[in-house]
Amino acid sequence: MSVLDIAKGMGVTLSHLFKKPVTVRYPDEPVQIKARFRGRHHLLRHPDTGLEKCIGCSLCAAACPAYAIYVEAAENDPENPTSAGERYASIYEINMLRCIFCGFCEEACPTSAVVLGHEFELADFRYQDFVYGKEDMLVGVKGSKWQRREAAAKGTEVRVALEAPGRPELEGVDY
Amino acid sequence: MKVTVNGTVLELDPGTSAIDAVFAAGFDVPYFCSQPYMSPIGACRMCLARIGAPRKERDGSWILDESSGEPKVFYFPAMMATCTTAIMEGMVIDTLSKDVKDAQNAMVEFTLINHPLDCPVCDKGGACELQDRAYEYGTGRSRFVFDKRHQEKHHPLSALITLDRERCIHCKRCVRYFEEVPGDEVLDFIERGGHTYIGTLEDGLPSNFTGNITDICPVGALLDATSRFRGRNWEYDHTFTTSLDDASGSAIVVDARTGRIERIKSGLNPEVNKSWIDDGIRFGHEYADDPERLKRPLLRRGEGFEEVSWEEAAAFVAERLAGFSGKDVGVAIRADATLEEGVAARALAQHVGTGQLDHAPRHGPSLVPLHGATVLDVATADALLVLGDVTEELPALDLRIKDALKGVSPPELFAHGVPIADLRLKERMPRASERLAVVAPYRVDLMKYAGAAVQVPVAGEAAWLQAMAAVAHAQPADEAVLGMPRAEAESLVRAWREAQKPIMIVGGFVLASEAATEAAASLAKAVGFRQVLVPPMANGVGLEITQVLPSHARYDYQGMLGGSAKALVLSNLNPAVDPAVAERLRSCELLVVHDLFLTETARLAHVVLPGTSGYEKDGTMVSLEGRFLPVRAAPVDAGEARDLTGVVKALGEAFGQRLEGRSVRSARRVLRKELGFDPTELHRLGLLRELPRRRAIVSLNVRETVVGDSLRVPSLARPEYLGRNAHLRAALGGPALRLHPEDAAARGLRTGDEVVVPVDGVPRRLEVRVSDAVPRGVSLVPATPEAPAGPAAVALDDLVHERRALEVA
Repeated sequence: MSVLDIAKGMGVTLSHLFKKPVTVRYPDEPVQIKARFRGRHHLLRHPDTGLEKCIGCSLCAAACPAYAIYVEAAENDPENPTSAGERYASIYEINMLRCIFCGFCEEACPTSAVVLGHEFELADFRYQDFVYGKEDMLVGVKGSKWQRREAAAKGTEVRVALEAPGRPELEGVDY
Repeated sequence: MKVTVNGTVLELDPGTSAIDAVFAAGFDVPYFCSQPYMSPIGACRMCLARIGAPRKERDGSWILDESSGEPKVFYFPAMMATCTTAIMEGMVIDTLSKDVKDAQNAMVEFTLINHPLDCPVCDKGGACELQDRAYEYGTGRSRFVFDKRHQEKHHPLSALITLDRERCIHCKRCVRYFEEVPGDEVLDFIERGGHTYIGTLEDGLPSNFTGNITDICPVGALLDATSRFRGRNWEYDHTFTTSLDDASGSAIVVDARTGRIERIKSGLNPEVNKSWIDDGIRFGHEYADDPERLKRPLLRRGEGFEEVSWEEAAAFVAERLAGFSGKDVGVAIRADATLEEGVAARALAQHVGTGQLDHAPRHGPSLVPLHGATVLDVATADALLVLGDVTEELPALDLRIKDALKGVSPPELFAHGVPIADLRLKERMPRASERLAVVAPYRVDLMKYAGAAVQVPVAGEAAWLQAMAAVAHAQPADEAVLGMPRAEAESLVRAWREAQKPIMIVGGFVLASEAATEAAASLAKAVGFRQVLVPPMANGVGLEITQVLPSHARYDYQGMLGGSAKALVLSNLNPAVDPAVAERLRSCELLVVHDLFLTETARLAHVVLPGTSGYEKDGTMVSLEGRFLPVRAAPVDAGEARDLTGVVKALGEAFGQRLEGRSVRSARRVLRKELGFDPTELHRLGLLRELPRRRAIVSLNVRETVVGDSLRVPSLARPEYLGRNAHLRAALGGPALRLHPEDAAARGLRTGDEVVVPVDGVPRRLEVRVSDAVPRGVSLVPATPEAPAGPAAVALDDLVHERRALEVA
């Protein structure tokens, strides 16, 4: 090892002194998320009618390699439908502890109703709080169960510490 | 006959269809319209294949191929539907060449022209023949870009069946089924070509066997309304078991999901029910998921009940039982308990030292006839005498009787199962009505097909049978009793005597009377009939041969209720519907009730133990023909409910004793010794055995009734659960009081009126149904497990109108 090599190494170190730091001051600052990142699921609605896209077909549950999804279907009230068509999901649950975020459910979905979004802050305390129902995933709901619980307790808005370019599939989801 | 399928040479019987030849050779060909046990008609054109056969010269020698010297194969000019083509000597069938594949692709594309492809919301998705065949034999694309046909999406054909007219591919299975199997022509094609749809003339489907069309529909057009949108096909747990709803031993498949029974489909048992079950069995399961089901044992505390653990309940019962002398204790179980439960009940009675043990409902005479016949014998009989209303009592037998009238013997099975296309079966086959004679106290459904139909007076079966026996012995008989001229009766007897396989089917009306049963036996002896006796409930025969019987006639079920027992253990029985019995039970020192619901009797009990339904227990049942059949538990969430072996286990532990029958396994050890085989190893199709006849206990074991001029009649829907089977009740209506139009008019009653009327002194809430099938002066009320089929006294004078039917404008 020569003096030159040492100088080279120090040069690399020195050059970084003048670069923008990579470290993010999370959670005070948002994380930059790539568009391809797969986080918590969103259940989407048809933007024009507001009806749920999910028809309760259970194909996501069939595709799920981790058996994380449970769906129960029911018949729509023709006067006041929940989804387009005859059938809707009366229960739609995903166990986030079991989920491996592989995205097979999204691929299996014939109506593009379930899409993996960018939220990743899912840590919580009790087992049952990891089972997300329709009310936790329908479009318009922001944040994980824990984040929403804390926001409600503090009377503040739910703050999701991420910034993402978004994907066209996430129709109507706003970060 | 020698047939070559894609190069595989087979030897098959003449008359085999080409489609069965293809499957027998181990190849596959798609089909939608053929269905085992139904006529092949070649409607769907899906099973196309290239078929050829050698031809003969005028002199009878084969036309030979000049180059090879072998018989030359002449191919049909076009593709042939294999299901309607019979095999010929030297036939060559090709299902693999490109021409055949192209034809099949084209047919899939054609079939899908108007199919909506809404598989994700279709209840058939995952178990759909069209889905599978389109995947296997289609190209996955269509050249038809125009709009698809739009028709009604969820048309309720009846309360039990939903029709989606867009999905229908016009295979005609359902239309043919109704004409060929139950003979009720309630469905047909309407309109033509692409506009064709399935429809009914009237509202609803007036047949007892409608549910089978949901099994045979190759697409999701006909669907079971009870399981509509309940789950997808791959999510169900299938339990292959035997129905405990009647004594036929029909094979069923119980589909459960997340601890609930969602639907019941027909199982296949070629020797019993083929692949058909009646609506009572198929749709009568909703009670098992009823929210009012008992989930934990209840112990009386003052006026109310407290939920306790099994240990606590059993300890209470054991402590109280210890205070009784053994002979004061009575144990009675319902006659649809399994053999294992019978062993458990017997062990409990033995332990406490009582002879007061019985199952109910039970007839006085033995259910094992001297010369018995099997269900398959019925299907191949050439002379049948039916006594009673078999269509309602044992619907599976009704279908086998209709088989016998067609005169087509049950098909030989292939390695691939029942022949897909049995060419002996045709549409609109004549039914040989001269083979069938029906005797009943009112106009029953089967009389439509009977060459001789006799309507006897209420409780007039014994007299008719004696008169018929007198004719057989060439003695004088009253023509008024015979219901026909003597010459006709003589020719009937002659036909029975000349028949190779004459069979007499004895229903509940006859078995309810000792004299009539004897008269039936002596007529059977005089003419040479073999007998089929119809038990009042599923396992009547089994509980008889396992000796779940009183030690003495006066210790029977009625005796126990009458006061011979100070302590009573009742399983699934509800005698307190009768206010007089309820009064007596109130003074009972210990009443233990094991049941699914908090019934009238359970409300009087000191201890109520939660019981299991027929879908939730493991065990064995014996059908009416003496066939031992396995009953298997479906994964149902029934809380802490246990069957009778579980009750005996808990009680035994409280006694500090290891009782026999403390588990299904322990009961089977006992059964193995008694029966000579291990019920654990029973095949799904059962084991037919010769049964011992029981020593006669002369007691009818049903409530002694004032013999009235009315009748308690059997029904395919179990009356004790009808109120909790919402769909079935909507389709069949509530428990009915059936009256002759004139009787109804005289009292100002109309169909649909709700009335409360005393039946044998027990007030019952019934729905009036006016029917000309009922003779004048007779009212028909449904039989219950407490009061099985037989004569009854209906006090129409004390009738109270609850609600009148709406006036039809």
